Amino acid sequence: MGEFNLASLLQLTLNGIVSGTAYALLAVGVASIVGVTGRFHVAITVSYTLAAFVAAWLGGLAGVPFWPALLVGALCAALAGILMEAFVYLPLSLTAMRLGANVFLMTFVASLGLSIVGRNVLALTSLMNPSLLISGFNNVGLNVGPATITTLDLTMVVTSWALIGAFSLVLSLTSLGRMIRAVRANWQMSLCVGIDPRLIYRVVFGAGSFLAGAGGIFAAAKTSATPGMGVVPLFYALVVAFLAGLATPPWLVGLAGLALGLVQSYSSLFLPTQWTPLLVFAILFVFVALRPLDVRALQRRFIRTQRQAG
Amino acid sequence: MELLFGYVDQVLIFVVFALSLNLLLGYTGQISVAHAAFGAIGGYTLAYLSLHSHVPAVAGVALGILFAGLAGFLVGVPALRLKAEWLILLTLSVQIIVNLSVATSRPLGGTYGLQDVTGLSFFGRPLVNPSDMALPFAVCALLVLAICCRLGESPYGRVLRGIREDEIACRSLGKRVFVYKLTAFSLSAALAGLAGAMLVIETEIAAPKQFLFDVSSAIVAMVVVGGSGSIFGPVVGVLLLSVLGPLLERVLNLGADAAFTWRLVAYGAALVAIVMLRPAGLVPDAMTRRLGGLLRRSDGTGATSASRQSAFEVSPLSVARTSPAAYGAAAPVASASGEAVVAVRGLSKHFGGIRAVENLTLELRSHSITALVGPNGAGKTTVFNLLTGAIRADGGTVELRGRDISGLPPDAVARLGMARSFQDVRIFPRLSALENVLLGIGNQPGEHLWPLFARPRLVAQAERAGKERAHEWLRFVGMAQQANVPAGALAFGEQKLVALARVLATEADVVLLDEPASGIDVHWVDAMLGLIDRLRTQGRTICLVEHNLHVVERLADRTCFMELGRITAQGSFAELTADRRLAEAYFGTGAGA
Repeated sequence: MGEFNLASLLQLTLNGIVSGTAYALLAVGVASIVGVTGRFHVAITVSYTLAAFVAAWLGGLAGVPFWPALLVGALCAALAGILMEAFVYLPLSLTAMRLGANVFLMTFVASLGLSIVGRNVLALTSLMNPSLLISGFNNVGLNVGPATITTLDLTMVVTSWALIGAFSLVLSLTSLGRMIRAVRANWQMSLCVGIDPRLIYRVVFGAGSFLAGAGGIFAAAKTSATPGMGVVPLFYALVVAFLAGLATPPWLVGLAGLALGLVQSYSSLFLPTQWTPLLVFAILFVFVALRPLDVRALQRRFIRTQRQAG
Repeated sequence: MELLFGYVDQVLIFVVFALSLNLLLGYTGQISVAHAAFGAIGGYTLAYLSLHSHVPAVAGVALGILFAGLAGFLVGVPALRLKAEWLILLTLSVQIIVNLSVATSRPLGGTYGLQDVTGLSFFGRPLVNPSDMALPFAVCALLVLAICCRLGESPYGRVLRGIREDEIACRSLGKRVFVYKLTAFSLSAALAGLAGAMLVIETEIAAPKQFLFDVSSAIVAMVVVGGSGSIFGPVVGVLLLSVLGPLLERVLNLGADAAFTWRLVAYGAALVAIVMLRPAGLVPDAMTRRLGGLLRRSDGTGATSASRQSAFEVSPLSVARTSPAAYGAAAPVASASGEAVVAVRGLSKHFGGIRAVENLTLELRSHSITALVGPNGAGKTTVFNLLTGAIRADGGTVELRGRDISGLPPDAVARLGMARSFQDVRIFPRLSALENVLLGIGNQPGEHLWPLFARPRLVAQAERAGKERAHEWLRFVGMAQQANVPAGALAFGEQKLVALARVLATEADVVLLDEPASGIDVHWVDAMLGLIDRLRTQGRTICLVEHNLHVVERLADRTCFMELGRITAQGSFAELTADRRLAEAYFGTGAGA
């Protein structure tokens, strides 16, 4: 447990902003894909990890600078997402609908399979080339009063919020954004007004996977790219995405991520550090467990009981 | 040789894991990604008790099963009303909470876990080498297989499959869906606890890494690849996915690290390929049913087949003309003629600013058919939903034979004697027509756990009687020939007839029929009308919602016209069509002419 003073509070705040932003970026990707397409795309971890691997290969083997490597890595992540939608989820969902099977469950299981394949194919490549450090970024510590933040973390925070902001603007101001929102609200009706949901699904998979890929590269830049690096961030991203709501604008999902990061960071003041992740998932459990309760119905029943008793 | 026994032990452990999940996912349609966590509860309980209390292994395993079952019960309560994505999230949080809890708990050994769980024995036989464990593990796996077989291939399992197909329809037939789902969740978790204990016995440690999310997702994969909902599917899934590792390691001559990784690649690829190519898995549900049917026929206990079917080979039209007296045994207890069976007073329901039903008063009388007519959005189906408890009223009362049933859930209303059909049929598509009707029959001993295991003879007798009655109802609606056809494969009109037989099988004396004649072929309409007419003769109280005015004209003793949630006119069909306003607004001038 940490000691409470102004310096530690500031440091915890900075830590919370950094970790919360990392959750937020992946959560925006998860929320947009699950919210619009209804696919429980756990294989987004493949995009997250692939981008980090590509950036590491480009930097380590070809000497490509950090920013171009980040762009190419994130684009590869987007491509992976689009390919998974086009060649696995779409045909699968069409088959499932034709057979009257559970589309959601089947795409979820396929997604589990894809994540296992992706993670382990990347693991095989790392057996051949174990050095997967992302180079080209001059990471130094910056003092913010009594606290410290690294330039990498600061860049990650600024870039992530710029991406989340840009995605929010696209969704709210452009015709593409209107089409995405229309498909999210009712894909069958959107067909009637000339929107092709298949195209929109691919766009959303591309955008969501791009954001996830960018997040993966920043995460790997702090340590190194590893095949299993996407699993734990996915859990946090799911917490944020579902707590915020899948139909929520990206910037609000981002704020939920930030809030979770801060809660987790501050909780280290009164909890041992190893217990803080437990707090996050306990919050999730309570939130999901209480979700089916119709609070208004309970209120009505209570009022009726009181009246009858009176 | 010990290496081979090691593989066998692993397969047996995962057979138990997969069968436990199949009970939940395959039969009830609830997904869980926390089965490794339930396994951890069983495994850690055994390990802790063995190391600290030196209790016998059997007692440790039993307590592990109990604690895992309790955990399943606790998770099952909030899981009851969750959609699939939220259920995944809930069970994912349980998986991570359990993992983090054991990994951070000092008494449980932290990340290293509880080591050296040795000295265990099974009825005096020490469990040291993999070969020592093979027999007790095989006994456990066979026992679990037998339990799952008994649960799944019985009236109890039929209810679970009904819940999987359509929970709302199941409740409307009087099934306590809440109890079934909770029991299935608890049993499934308890069996996973057994698998976890077996894993600890095999490895002699209980460590967090044995029970990670990856293990849970592997169990899901085994069930889906093999075929969820079938008894042998998960076993095949385990065998296939477990054999990949040793096979790749030996046949392809790969190093241990590479083989392990390649195995996971192949495993993930197989998962994707099978889900895409064989969505029902390698051993589909239907295949198990057919195999089960053959086995039952061969031992003479199942009489579901051709000989009986031929006795019911009659066309719908000829059945419709058959005397109702022939079905006296299945007919409900009739009320006195004209007695008010259902009394509705001041019923109201608002959805936000929309008044779907407003201060509605209505009586349904025995031996009579009441029709609710009116334009779309008038609130007719909402009235059915309010009467049967599918939605809760904002005000007013509903009485069934003088008993206030306002606020009761749909299953309770159905058990009290008011059943309904649905506009969109809500058939159980993967169940046969016969099974659909069997689900309508109430109070079957085989639908409850205690008699299912304690009184097998009673259950078998009741099942035989139930099948006879279900066949009678199918014959009543002219569908006996299609008794063994999956309901989803029937034509829409046939599905409506099966749905009608299902409602009638509840023997409810109040039957609410939502658009029984809509969307079906004209000769089925005739058959349907004949059947409904005969129900009135039997003394049932019938209320129907119908847009087809010829149907209303032919059947209804009394017609209530609804507009904007209110009954604005009622009387005979002729009286209503003579009303000039209604004729212009709804019936059309031709009807009034």
